[in-house]
Amino acid sequence: MSSPVSRIRDHAAAMPDAVALRDKHFGIWREWTWASYWEHVQLAGHAYLALGVVPGDRVAIHSENRPEWLICDMGALAVRAASVGVYPTNPAAEVGYLLNDSGAKVLVAEDQEQVDKAFAVLDQAPDMVRIVYLEPRGIRHRYDSELLLSWEDFLELGREHRAAHPDAIAEVMAGQEPADLATLIYTSGTTGPPKGAMLTVSNVECAIQVLVEQGAFTDPPPGPKDLTLSYLPLAHVAERIFSTWFNAAAGTQVNFAESIETVPANLREVQPTILFGVPRIWEKLLAGVETRLSGASWFKRAVSRFWLGVADDIGERLVAQGGVHSTSTRLKYAVGYVFFYRALKDRLGMRKVRYAASGAAPIAPEVLKFFMGIGVPMHEVYGMTENTAVATGNRPGRIRLGTVGEVHPGTELRIDEETGEILTRSGATFAGYWQREEATRMALTPDGWLHTGDVGEWVEGTHVKITDRMKDIIITAGGKNISPSMIENELKASPFIREAIVIGDGRKYLTALIGIELDTVGEWAQRRQLGYSTYRDLSAKPEVVELVSGIVDAVNADLAQVERIKAFRLLPKELDHEDGELTATQKVKRSAISQMFEDTVVEMYGGATR
Amino acid sequence: MTTLSTGSTGSTGPGSTGSTTAPREAAPRARRTGRLSGRPQFYRSYAQELALFNTRPKRIWVGLIVLAAFALSQMLTDNHLNTLALAYAFAIGALGLNIITGLAGQVSLGHAFFLGVGAYTAAAISGDPDGRTIGFGITNILVWLPAAGLVAGIAGVLVAPLATRLRGLYLAIITLGLVFIGEHVFREWSDLTGGAGVGRESAVPELFGLEFARDGDYLTSDQKFYLLMLVLMLVFALGARNLARSRTGRAFAAVRDRDMAAEMMAINLPRAKTVAFAISSFYAGCSGALIYSIIGFFEPSTFGLLLSVQFIAMVLIGGAGTVSGAIMGALFITLLPTLTRELPAYVPFISGQVTDTPNVFQLEQVLYGLLIVGFLLFEPRGLFGIWIRIRNYWKGWPFSY
Repeated sequence: MSSPVSRIRDHAAAMPDAVALRDKHFGIWREWTWASYWEHVQLAGHAYLALGVVPGDRVAIHSENRPEWLICDMGALAVRAASVGVYPTNPAAEVGYLLNDSGAKVLVAEDQEQVDKAFAVLDQAPDMVRIVYLEPRGIRHRYDSELLLSWEDFLELGREHRAAHPDAIAEVMAGQEPADLATLIYTSGTTGPPKGAMLTVSNVECAIQVLVEQGAFTDPPPGPKDLTLSYLPLAHVAERIFSTWFNAAAGTQVNFAESIETVPANLREVQPTILFGVPRIWEKLLAGVETRLSGASWFKRAVSRFWLGVADDIGERLVAQGGVHSTSTRLKYAVGYVFFYRALKDRLGMRKVRYAASGAAPIAPEVLKFFMGIGVPMHEVYGMTENTAVATGNRPGRIRLGTVGEVHPGTELRIDEETGEILTRSGATFAGYWQREEATRMALTPDGWLHTGDVGEWVEGTHVKITDRMKDIIITAGGKNISPSMIENELKASPFIREAIVIGDGRKYLTALIGIELDTVGEWAQRRQLGYSTYRDLSAKPEVVELVSGIVDAVNADLAQVERIKAFRLLPKELDHEDGELTATQKVKRSAISQMFEDTVVEMYGGATR
Repeated sequence: MTTLSTGSTGSTGPGSTGSTTAPREAAPRARRTGRLSGRPQFYRSYAQELALFNTRPKRIWVGLIVLAAFALSQMLTDNHLNTLALAYAFAIGALGLNIITGLAGQVSLGHAFFLGVGAYTAAAISGDPDGRTIGFGITNILVWLPAAGLVAGIAGVLVAPLATRLRGLYLAIITLGLVFIGEHVFREWSDLTGGAGVGRESAVPELFGLEFARDGDYLTSDQKFYLLMLVLMLVFALGARNLARSRTGRAFAAVRDRDMAAEMMAINLPRAKTVAFAISSFYAGCSGALIYSIIGFFEPSTFGLLLSVQFIAMVLIGGAGTVSGAIMGALFITLLPTLTRELPAYVPFISGQVTDTPNVFQLEQVLYGLLIVGFLLFEPRGLFGIWIRIRNYWKGWPFSY
């Protein structure tokens, strides 16, 4: 029975000195070899055993992405315990909920901030035996608690345990069963409290087989020469695939970004070969290009405008041909590469990217087309926690823009004729929600089909197009079904718009709440010598409202009559996870928003409260 | 220190987890020194970041330029080679001044004095024992060149105590005084220097029987001089570049930027300044010996203020604080006369005769002044700064920042 841990062990035996992980340490990319990685995984496993963790127990990890995250995750798996990832941005209340719901025995907390959150909600976590902290600053010599254990002491504990029981890990691993719980991944919870999706070892192994070994994403499949950048939260299934499992299965080199703010700089340094991003990241990178180009000297601006125009044509042709170059686009691109695209991609950190993917949320086709045009092989993929992200993906050379691609081999997918809901079935379908049989029954049919909650349709019989989340579909007072996310994405494709929430369920017409992007609009205002103090002040400026109004009009022009936005208001604040407006994965909580801005919404409908 | 390190560095990871087991300590890092291709900003060790040429393109370009410089010896006429050889010898002096002024930030107008010390030391060691002036007849360049440098360096160390007590304008005045004292001594000590208006033969360059001053079977005298000066300049430039990235060099830079702050960081100020003066004077001494070995004859009045100003012009125009800037500046200033001497053919009212006014020699002086003023006003970072600006323009492509 192979598992990600046994794969790491095998890599360590086959190429002990090759690089497995890198993290930035005092300005230098410090390298962790496979031997060192495996050694640490073993030590973590022994330490868990010493702390009394038995197969089936849960271990929570509350940290930014760093090597220790992977070590604690894999260490837990080595002793047949399941890891529970907690988002670093989770406020204390949510941490308490997760610790309580999962019943975690050990918590690995990154620093003082996360330790403080844990202590604030300790009464909700009766099963907790130890809190391991990674960064001693502010904790060591200050906090006096029996529960606390430093990372060094944790490893030392593992070392002592290993000295006493040298074969303990091997023995536990030998008992590994396919149905063992590998990890609990909590759903983002846009509607209710988060639910823990149970992914078993066989789910993970199935995902590895389909996505890594059969190369359902990349072609050729990933290998030890590939570099990835780990920057999205590891508590999310997508980052777990592209960092932890790609690394364990194919031996890719994982480079940990210093933080989410330094991603552009880290991208430039690392120049990864495989890059996964959520729409927000791609939108932000695109907005960054436009902002920086508008600040360039006139000559550079003129050259850029010309080559971006060419890139637009190339992108258009690539889209029409499924991502395959024709002779003329190849020629155009080759010339442009010398003058523009090479430099641009280098600055973006994507010069070496051989496979780029967007997933986890819908994205505007324009954004994808831009990246395809400048020569980043961009693919939209689809999957969710509940099927270990094994569903569909656009294959290189067979791309259909606006779709999420073809069904992976070995996976079944059907679309419910009545509701239009997408259902999937494969070995990667999860085992159910943690301690929620009701919810599990609603999500899983007895014969193994998973209700994804997404509405979709077939395109050309091979590709799947997602219309929207089922519960987000708007039915207007006129009885028309409208997919808000499509309209929202069109709006968000503009670099000036960060957030768009289309409203109109049961109303006569559609309206929108729009949040501006502070960076780009701020820069736009500065160039017009428009003074502003805060986000609130900026979004209240009549000029800014006018700017957004222009964008809304442009989007409206391409929409059918019923889909047009008749009125909009700008949000007076940036939406935030800590204020409960966004989930940890930056998804908008619609219900929370419409409650919070109820007055504004009512105003847009001329005072009618529905 | 202990409190600092436990408090701030954390300590998680392969290197810092302290007393971890041997196999793990041995496994990570150390063995890989190579760069990842196509990732110029990806540093895997501090050594890579501090490397002499930290990227492959840099290595290739420097290699090509050096190769081209060697090829020139076969392509140019002897006349031009002679001028270039002289320019390289001047470049060594400029590198020296760059160390004290550009790197360590100590204004020195006394460079001419150290140059003179070096030139006379070399001339005396290699001079004819039976001649009019002092001479020991040891013509091997391996003897007189280091000796010239060392004697000048010792002179620098002797002057250093003054420099460690003064800075800025006061230091400039002191070093100015040095030039006048030097000029006086050189003029009066006619046993060594031949006396004012008379002068003496300069150092005889010879390397294990290979005489540079005579045409050989394969290479002319000028070609030999050119190659010798090129090689020496490369050696000295490499030395200066390595000095700049060493602990000593970083200490110099700290002293330059703010001497008090440098002292706070436990840099021994008197020592740093003394070392800077010694090294700078060593370079000057070698440069002086080499310059006049090419010319063949020199007299005491050469080592006046004007020579110092010429070197300052080289450093400032080239770009203070950078090795390639100093070399560019030296080439520029030494080649300037060759250009201005062509002028009378095109501009009728400028004369080529010393007796007329205006003549090209006056024009040269004016040009030095104008260039220094112009560069300080418009491009304080010198020729090197212009290069940096061009490079940054393309480095930022297609953005501006």
